[in-house]
Amino acid sequence: MRIPAPSLAAFLLVSFPSFSADAPAVPHYALDAAKSTLEFSFTQAGAQNKGKFTHYTVNFDFSPDNLAASRLEVTIDVASLATGDQERDDTLRDADLFAVKKFPQARFSATQIVKSASGYEAVGKLTIRDATREARVPFTFRVASEAGTNAGYMAGKTTLKRLDYGVGQGDWKATDQVGNDVSVSFALRLTAAAH
Amino acid sequence: MAIRNTTRRWGAIAQLLHWLIALFIIAQFTLALLFADLPAGARKLTLLARHKSIGISILMLACLRLGWRWANPTPTLPDTLKPYERSLARFTHALLYVLLFAVPFTGWTMSSARGFPVSWFGLFTLPDLVPKDKSLYNMLVTTHTVLAWILGGVVTLHLGAALKHHFMLKDDVLRRMLPFVSHKPQGSAR
Repeated sequence: MRIPAPSLAAFLLVSFPSFSADAPAVPHYALDAAKSTLEFSFTQAGAQNKGKFTHYTVNFDFSPDNLAASRLEVTIDVASLATGDQERDDTLRDADLFAVKKFPQARFSATQIVKSASGYEAVGKLTIRDATREARVPFTFRVASEAGTNAGYMAGKTTLKRLDYGVGQGDWKATDQVGNDVSVSFALRLTAAAH
Repeated sequence: MAIRNTTRRWGAIAQLLHWLIALFIIAQFTLALLFADLPAGARKLTLLARHKSIGISILMLACLRLGWRWANPTPTLPDTLKPYERSLARFTHALLYVLLFAVPFTGWTMSSARGFPVSWFGLFTLPDLVPKDKSLYNMLVTTHTVLAWILGGVVTLHLGAALKHHFMLKDDVLRRMLPFVSHKPQGSAR
């Protein structure tokens, strides 16, 4: 049976809306956790110290040609923090700092991705504990074709003020020993989901 | 008071270093005893940071002090001392010097082994002496503590000897380390 050309076109448009000429396809990327790092660095007693999160998910819809439809969603399992010191990790998970029992997840949700001089900037809301604030996260992104699939490499660095998010209650509000500025850096490998 | 030592009296620099270190040692014991009982928290972190900064200060002052000692005459011990008392005094002083280096040094190494870099009053960060190593850290905690208590014991002995010289032997051993006491070469009672 012959399918009339107009209905075929309509079928394609409905099934694959990204085929329409003025809105290029926006591939979806998911995290390759084994090849990604999400780290933070802070001053403790005057010296730089480092930590990382080991459990988090990233959902990234991105096309450089269709930034309007691009999205970034990062969800972090806060309890997965690791600074290389058990006592410090336990302290960080406690009620006065990350309070992971009450607030197990931190989330960055960017609904706007804009081009910047050095790459892109994800503009959205960052939630840590029960505090949500506007955040702009600069990042670079490149796609490499690896063994038939597309891998995306996303990297960036930003600085947050921990007290903006209430990470530091009671005595921890003091910033002379643990600085307010926390630098967060990430180097993620993302894999494009097959369509 | 002269800046440099003479064979009869400690000069201003040697006295300053001596009393500054004495003050810092008292501060170190006070801080250590205070944070020993604290649970992990901001307060303990603050006290620990001060303890580390002062400890590094002691290490720096001890270096200066040893250098100054080599570059200066050392006041001679009173003639009244018996040979074994001389040996004992020399041994105690040598031990004090060794501990002035060893206690801060084990503290610094212990911090490195724990994975916590040491900062000097937040002004600069010292290099880590050893890589992170939990069992080395545990060993160094014991070493640092034991050496600190030995230092406490030797300081007490040192203090006792100084007071004995002053009040019982009535010589000028203590006076010549005191800044505001005039030195009377002929006037001291024997």
